[in-house]
Amino acid sequence: MSFLGYVRSDGSVGTRNYVLVIPQGIISKSICDFVTGTKSILTVDHGSGRTANDRETIARVLIGLGRNPNVASVILHAASPGVGYPELRAERLADEIARSGKRVEILDAARDGGTYGAIVKGIQLARQMAYEASKLRRKEVGDEHLCLGVKCGYSDTTSGIAGNPAVGYLYDKIVAAGGTAMFGETTEIIGAEHVLAKRAATPQVAQAILDAVLVQEARAKATGLDIRTVNPVPSNIKGGISSLEEKSLGAIHKAGTAPIQGVLKYAERSQGKGLYFVDNWMGHLSIFAGYAAAGANIVLFQLGGGGVTGRTLLEGSPSVVAPFLWTTANPKTYAAARDSIDFYSGTVIEGSETPEEAGERLYRTVIDIASGTLSRSETLNYSEPIDMYLQEPRF
Amino acid sequence: MPAKRALIMHPSDNVATTVEEIQAGEEVAIPMGRKVLSICAIEAIPFGFKIALQDIPRGEIIRKYGETIGTAGTNIAKGALVHIHNLEGTRARGDLERRDKG
Repeated sequence: MSFLGYVRSDGSVGTRNYVLVIPQGIISKSICDFVTGTKSILTVDHGSGRTANDRETIARVLIGLGRNPNVASVILHAASPGVGYPELRAERLADEIARSGKRVEILDAARDGGTYGAIVKGIQLARQMAYEASKLRRKEVGDEHLCLGVKCGYSDTTSGIAGNPAVGYLYDKIVAAGGTAMFGETTEIIGAEHVLAKRAATPQVAQAILDAVLVQEARAKATGLDIRTVNPVPSNIKGGISSLEEKSLGAIHKAGTAPIQGVLKYAERSQGKGLYFVDNWMGHLSIFAGYAAAGANIVLFQLGGGGVTGRTLLEGSPSVVAPFLWTTANPKTYAAARDSIDFYSGTVIEGSETPEEAGERLYRTVIDIASGTLSRSETLNYSEPIDMYLQEPRF
Repeated sequence: MPAKRALIMHPSDNVATTVEEIQAGEEVAIPMGRKVLSICAIEAIPFGFKIALQDIPRGEIIRKYGETIGTAGTNIAKGALVHIHNLEGTRARGDLERRDKG
């Protein structure tokens, strides 16, 4: 099967065609306010007071977003408080992004006439880039160019029975077609890691999965708390999930049945194609930017039930440049947020569709959105700030 | 009145997940391959929660998806609701580590 995408000079294929302006700040915001077809990132952290490891994670996010196939060209500005650190210098970020063959321009307030001057120059550059990008036409390409990221959230028992299995079917189909698919949330595989380790492509990958869980479970135990006071979260428990193990065993269904090729860090790009486990954290404002930085050109949030009440607006889009889909199998959630949800698989619970039929329908929805149809959350011009997954203390 | 429905995820499970709101005393039908297991709910079980398919003595493993989801914190009767009041998580239990260390 195939979709319509933007073929980039490095051979990757975008499902969108943006000019990216990074890092965040008044320069990026002003440029994006003025120029159509642009995207920026909102973050709280820009690296100041962060350790070298965490600064490298921030760099990985910025470089990765710049290299994402959904990005046509990039403007970087050198006015972020983080740029004093070697890892976050605009030139370093620009060099690494430019290796993908994209046009990258740097704005430097010190050289370009201060903040005002950099904004003016940036608007001129961005208009030119947006115009050039618009000349590119979508072409029919194979599904091996899809790269997916998923998270399940507000999970309840409908997630494990029908919602995640539909995503799992999609994952198997994309991996079988030669594409790439990522899942993660290390806390939410505790109790299910032995099942995943059996699916590892090599003994080293199996060990890496078990090691990721070992580290995370040790951190949890060090708190002295029953993990159930933290995770499963109250909405999970209200939805019928009774333990972290139960949540994990339901959560892994979204990863389908393909062999796991490797364990990636947050925002790390895979070396090859296939299914990958990402050692990341479940927060949706964190995880999706990480997937996009790792190269995802479409991402999914599989939603359970808790907390979604009548006429809820699900805003989403924390994936910056990757289209963001909401899916659910909970009939109450679907009824409460119908105009925000891209895909419903409660039909499996109701008995009107088999899991395979629902999965096939999800696949067609993903192909349609990859080819240019807006996801429901993309119809909103709104996104929450990104919470990059930084793990070390601040000083 | 037709029986209410619950789903079993694996043949070795000792709980099933309800996919309808169930009242105390109602019959619950659980498809198991070609057969249908029928269990009387001894208490109300909300949509998406778990019903015990057999008596589960305290300390016994509770299985869903064919895997361990916890242990019984009390003696659980067949047809009872299984949730955080009678199911103990076994993983990432910092509280138990702390108690064991005294």
